[in-house]
Amino acid sequence: MFKNIVFTIITIGFCIKGNAQTVSAEVKEERNIYEKIYDAPLNVAGKQQLSLHELYNEKPLLLALVFTRCSGVCNPFLLQLKENLQFRTKDNSFNVLVLSFDPRDSIKDMNLLAKKFDLENNKQWFFAVTDSITKLNQSISFNPVWDSVINQYDHDALLVGINSEGYITKKLIGIRRGHDMDLLIASVNNVFSPTYRLPSKNLLFSCFNYDPKTGKNKLGLGLIFIALPAVLTVLMLIFISYFVKHKRPEIEETS
Amino acid sequence: MESIKLRKITSVWVITVLILFIVSITLGILMRLNQGEVISQSPVTFYSNLTTHGLTMIGIWFVAGMAAVNYLMQRYIKTSYAANVIALVFTVIGVLMLWTATFIGKFHAAWTFLYPLPFKEMGAATWATLLFLASLTVLGIGWLIWSISLMTQILKKYSIAQAFAWQHFKKNPKVETPPFILISMITLIGVIACLFAAVVLLVLFYAEYFSKGNFVNDALLMKNLTYFFGHTIANEMLYLGLAVIYELFSEVSGRPKWKTTWYVALAWNFTLIFVLTAFFHHLYMDFVQPEGLQIIGQLASYLASLPAAGVTVFSVFIAVYRTKIKWSLTNLLFFIGIAGWVIGGLGAVIDSTISNNIVLHNTLWVPAHFHTYNAMGNVLFSLGFFYWFSTQFSENSKVSKFTTLTLTLLLIGGIGFLLAFYFGGADSIPRRYSIYPSDFPMAAPMATIGATFATIYLIAILIFFFNIYKRCLKILFSPS
Repeated sequence: MFKNIVFTIITIGFCIKGNAQTVSAEVKEERNIYEKIYDAPLNVAGKQQLSLHELYNEKPLLLALVFTRCSGVCNPFLLQLKENLQFRTKDNSFNVLVLSFDPRDSIKDMNLLAKKFDLENNKQWFFAVTDSITKLNQSISFNPVWDSVINQYDHDALLVGINSEGYITKKLIGIRRGHDMDLLIASVNNVFSPTYRLPSKNLLFSCFNYDPKTGKNKLGLGLIFIALPAVLTVLMLIFISYFVKHKRPEIEETS
Repeated sequence: MESIKLRKITSVWVITVLILFIVSITLGILMRLNQGEVISQSPVTFYSNLTTHGLTMIGIWFVAGMAAVNYLMQRYIKTSYAANVIALVFTVIGVLMLWTATFIGKFHAAWTFLYPLPFKEMGAATWATLLFLASLTVLGIGWLIWSISLMTQILKKYSIAQAFAWQHFKKNPKVETPPFILISMITLIGVIACLFAAVVLLVLFYAEYFSKGNFVNDALLMKNLTYFFGHTIANEMLYLGLAVIYELFSEVSGRPKWKTTWYVALAWNFTLIFVLTAFFHHLYMDFVQPEGLQIIGQLASYLASLPAAGVTVFSVFIAVYRTKIKWSLTNLLFFIGIAGWVIGGLGAVIDSTISNNIVLHNTLWVPAHFHTYNAMGNVLFSLGFFYWFSTQFSENSKVSKFTTLTLTLLLIGGIGFLLAFYFGGADSIPRRYSIYPSDFPMAAPMATIGATFATIYLIAILIFFFNIYKRCLKILFSPS
């Protein structure tokens, strides 16, 4: 009996912990949108000390958070980011800031990382460290967890869009497609990005049903409701007119 | 006997509308003073007042038009006294419920109550949303009964074709449809359609409210229905006022009665068809709405308003140009009201043009134009009727010595108040802000100027009120 109770408590505990950890990427991406990012002091490779606002005031920023000793997602994340952006070389409406969230990283480590990706001479890319990473992480809800067993951080591959006034306009978690990058770049430049509600069992009367696979809208049941009032009125008019017809007197003809 | 009853209930309508109008203007002035930073209201209080002000104004000027049309319709057909009483009772109960939801419950989703705002409490009481929806239901039921009743009475005398004056498209029609019947019928059809839209909208709101998350609404559908109801009723109440003018302007001016011609019939039939689709112009910013509907919105906005405005202005112009007119307060109010309606209407047509809407959307231009055709248009139509009605059964029907002063105050107050909105719109000052950010340095001074002129307008309305209500009370308490 006692064993069963202990087993049940442990199971529930794991379930709760599991649920806490499985906050979807979509929800995380919605956090802090249109809030100001913390204005952290930066040590930028090849430049003197400056503040984050000096960078985003100059041009909107795409902020990528990595650490140089990462044996996981950081390298493929940066590689994909570089590949996605290299086809947008003509688009100089933004800069990219690669910032280490590992306090052990030095500016020298970030320089080496830039060289490794052949980006050290690219004027659109900045590699930097900061001594205020905790405050900056809080302002973007980025929570890397140190795993002492594998000697690595457990973290998201996070890309944050910041407009020229320092507001977080969009967040992307994970390695993403070019279309998502287009939306991110549009958002930092304050260009409207359409968003669609995904189909749901509880949403019965949509005017249009968006198909995420084709990216097209199909006519929905909701459109009937828009036409319904006019249709009901016409039917009522005909109905009443028919039923009061016998009461209608002969109207005098005009001369 | 019936006409005495109608006379009495019309007096109650007049007094009720004027009292609610004075309260609503006061709320408007308080909001502008808050925007001008002369007084300080919490955002929740500001938006509660905005909700009360907007909905009460729409409601009272709709019922004012209906009461006037109902009264004058007795000249042509027998109307239902019971439907009139039901509408009055439901209106009073509905307004009390609405004010409880906004003043006590702090419901503050504005008069448009766009989905999903009513479901976000944001400082309002938990019960306020349900009471707000219930208040709209009560108002809607009362008005729907009244409108259907009036339409039925018209159809008892005129066939559908005659009520819409289709016989006037041919030469020498055998039967003449009075312009008053034509415009009333066309307006009632629009009113019934938009009240049906409100029914569908409220059913969907209730469904989501009581489903506890098992049913959610489509925001685009809800916005379409909200403006089908809201935009259409705001337009139809103007047409009710115009029906009164077509009936009374020539009569009080000592001129021959206006008649229905083929172009009057055509213009108003255009209005019937297109006013029901003009609301699409409220959805230009909704990218999911197909482009075709946006274009229909722009074209319908032109076709619903311009022909009707054209024939009305032409009729009034012909009636007064180089003609000896017996001017009285009634036809002066009608005349100034038509000018306000046309100016505000042009502002609306400009805003409904897609290329302009991109610039003007949600700036003070929007309250500028709708206050023009309401405060200096439709309100004056109804005030003209109220004055005319109150003097019909009064021994003392002399023009008050305050008439010139009242009209002067009304014009100065109204124009000044509106110009503060128009200049604000030209300066791209956004609407619906309780406090303006420092990016708009002219916004607060403009709001204070607007409030000052609105106070002058209020003084004029108070003079009207004291002028009219005594006579209405006499009618109400006169022996049957």
